[in-house]
Amino acid sequence: MKFRTFLGAAAVLALAAGSAPAADKDATDTAVEAAKKYAGTTISIVWEAGLQSLDPLNYSGPQWEKLTGIKVKVVEVPTDQMFTKIMQDFKSGAGAYDALNVIPSWMPDLARAGALEPLDKYVDKFGYRDELQDIAAAYRDNQMQYDGKIYGFPDDGDVMLLYYRKDIFEDPKMKDEFKAKFGYELAPPKDWKQFDEIGQFITDKMAPKVYGAGFFRTAPYPQYMFQERFRMEGGKFFNADTMKATVNGDVGLKVFKQMLAENKFMPPGVEQWNFVDNLAAFLQGTTAMTISWPPYGRWAAGYGSGEDALKWVPKSQVAGKVGYALTPLGRPELGVGFDLSVSATSKNKEAAYLFIQWLNSKKTSLERVQLPYTLRDPFRLSHYASEKYRALWPDAAAYLDNIKTSGEKGLLDLSLLQQDKYDEAMTKAISSLWAGEDPKAILDRMAQQFDAITEKVGIENQKAAYKVWAAKPGAYPQ
Amino acid sequence: MTLSASLNAAEQRRPSRFGRMLEDRLPYLIVAPAILILLLVGLFPLIYSLIVSFQRITMTENDTSFVGLLNYAELFRDTRLWASLGHTAIITAIALPLELLVGFLMAQLFIDRMPGRQIFVALLVLPTVISPIVAGATWRLMFDVRFGPIGQILSFIAGEPVRILWTVNPTYVYPAIIICEVWQWSPFMFLLLLAALSNVDQSQLEAAEIDGASYLRVLRAIVLPAIAPVIAVACLIRGLDLVRIFDIIWALTEGGPGSMTETISLYTYVQGFSQFETSYTAAISFLVIALLTLLTTLVLKRMELAR
Repeated sequence: MKFRTFLGAAAVLALAAGSAPAADKDATDTAVEAAKKYAGTTISIVWEAGLQSLDPLNYSGPQWEKLTGIKVKVVEVPTDQMFTKIMQDFKSGAGAYDALNVIPSWMPDLARAGALEPLDKYVDKFGYRDELQDIAAAYRDNQMQYDGKIYGFPDDGDVMLLYYRKDIFEDPKMKDEFKAKFGYELAPPKDWKQFDEIGQFITDKMAPKVYGAGFFRTAPYPQYMFQERFRMEGGKFFNADTMKATVNGDVGLKVFKQMLAENKFMPPGVEQWNFVDNLAAFLQGTTAMTISWPPYGRWAAGYGSGEDALKWVPKSQVAGKVGYALTPLGRPELGVGFDLSVSATSKNKEAAYLFIQWLNSKKTSLERVQLPYTLRDPFRLSHYASEKYRALWPDAAAYLDNIKTSGEKGLLDLSLLQQDKYDEAMTKAISSLWAGEDPKAILDRMAQQFDAITEKVGIENQKAAYKVWAAKPGAYPQ
Repeated sequence: MTLSASLNAAEQRRPSRFGRMLEDRLPYLIVAPAILILLLVGLFPLIYSLIVSFQRITMTENDTSFVGLLNYAELFRDTRLWASLGHTAIITAIALPLELLVGFLMAQLFIDRMPGRQIFVALLVLPTVISPIVAGATWRLMFDVRFGPIGQILSFIAGEPVRILWTVNPTYVYPAIIICEVWQWSPFMFLLLLAALSNVDQSQLEAAEIDGASYLRVLRAIVLPAIAPVIAVACLIRGLDLVRIFDIIWALTEGGPGSMTETISLYTYVQGFSQFETSYTAAISFLVIALLTLLTTLVLKRMELAR
């Protein structure tokens, strides 16, 4: 009996052992195993030119070739030309690109046009659905699907974070004086009134050595800031029934006036600042607060400072002095992001899919988000929890916790049909705001432009797209 | 040899009918491949663009149906288009005379032999060999409110910090563009005018001097008429360049603040590559071609160069 029991148990174990590789294999290994049959082929992937593309050029491309024998050709394209290149390839039917990096707000246009391959059948075939659940909800629920189908894997945890100088905020003299003046503690601002008061207070006390805050004021960031603040103050972009733009009401005016007034306690010339100007000011200790994407936090901590590719980043004078917090009002804009997709005209769809599954998988993506020279930000729950990542610099754990919270509360970028046109209208409007034009007149013009775009796209088409977008959990604060 | 024999020999040497036809058409046959290539490269895209301008092609839709003159009708309702044409006209109207004037003054300065003249001329021409996008980016740094030397010089002169937002403030943004444009292209005018001035008849100048004619009189009566054809060609070349101005403005202001410095080339680019309105962009291009053709013809006619 004992022997028979032993045999039975052995048989069960043998069966379990036989089936174990399939059941336990993670998405990384599954993709590699399945891709080996395509060894010798070359797949091309469109990637944002510059730092971003160092990932496939230096790390993931060569790794994939080593593991599967598939060569990866990286097509570097500047961000503002990516949409055009993808559409040109699709319209010509050339099939020059196999895999794509797609900004999530483009997804409705690209998917409607048929330029993106629906990925659901591959996700099921290669058992990727479980690992998709590890992607933070803000990205998974908002940036992965269009019309109920998966068209891309969220692959970049873009979200706006508030960075502040702990040494200034924790200075006892500053704290006492601030509390005496405003009646509350000097701490990361909870709303924009506090932000303005703290910013002005620090400027008054420390300028020109240190200013209260500095922002990236040229395109594209200010329009993301406007989108966030406008919604957090209770604004809606459109009347959902008529699709008439409603950006030019009292809320829009309030946000515009506040944004303009804030320039006064920021360094002179802030209106001209781009991403690098703002980064340089913060890293050199000239500004006490800023809001930007996650790479600022890594570079401020000095992470990757020895990398050749990061030589353009000014040496951080504030390493160890930077705190991380939610943006005022607590619902930061997700701001751009990237999805990995497969081109509908690809001649190597399955190989391209397997490459993006491998890139996006838990194991590979964790390595990729830690590459100091690229700009991919953590986007999976397992990234936030990674002990290895949390030990990269003394405050890395606090940094990851803040990205996680910010991502969970993140507000989705407006994403309608021909979204670029609405974005351009917002960008132009904010540029006019810095030039001193009347805020109300600018907002009225912006609303007119929104209406003209909507009319051109087709009111009913756009109404349907807006309904889908507005129903997403990150569209409007609940 | 008798006369009849000579005539027979000449008759025999005369090419056949086919030979004559070949001889007549040989020049055309020789240039035909070049013409064909030129037509393919130049005319085909033009015709294709014309067809596209009557369609409804955008990068975001699959509809390619013909819409007749709809895109052209849209041009007349597009206030941003007309504003961008206005901005182009402003820049051209200010920068062109300034470039001509600065170029002429520089040429006057260098018309006489002087030590190191060739080195100075070579140095003065340097801005024209720089790519306009690099010139724009360089001037953007020059105008930078924190690090730019222009602000520092102005602050030094004023004795207090002068913080002018050259590329943001509506008062200064056009001067910034025109300074950059004039800096880069006056040397082009200078070079052409220097060559023209060098060829003015010296005997006439000497005679005028002996007669006691003033400098302005000499300039008006002898120099300007002599160099007028060169001035006309230089203005035409630079005028057309200014109508197409893109790079410097893109690097300096990107058409901002708002759309305040958006020229027709910038607007066309935005429509085509940022707004993805392929057919409408083609219609804008044809509007620009029509306007430029009209303008060029009028100028050439006016200057009697059309002949």
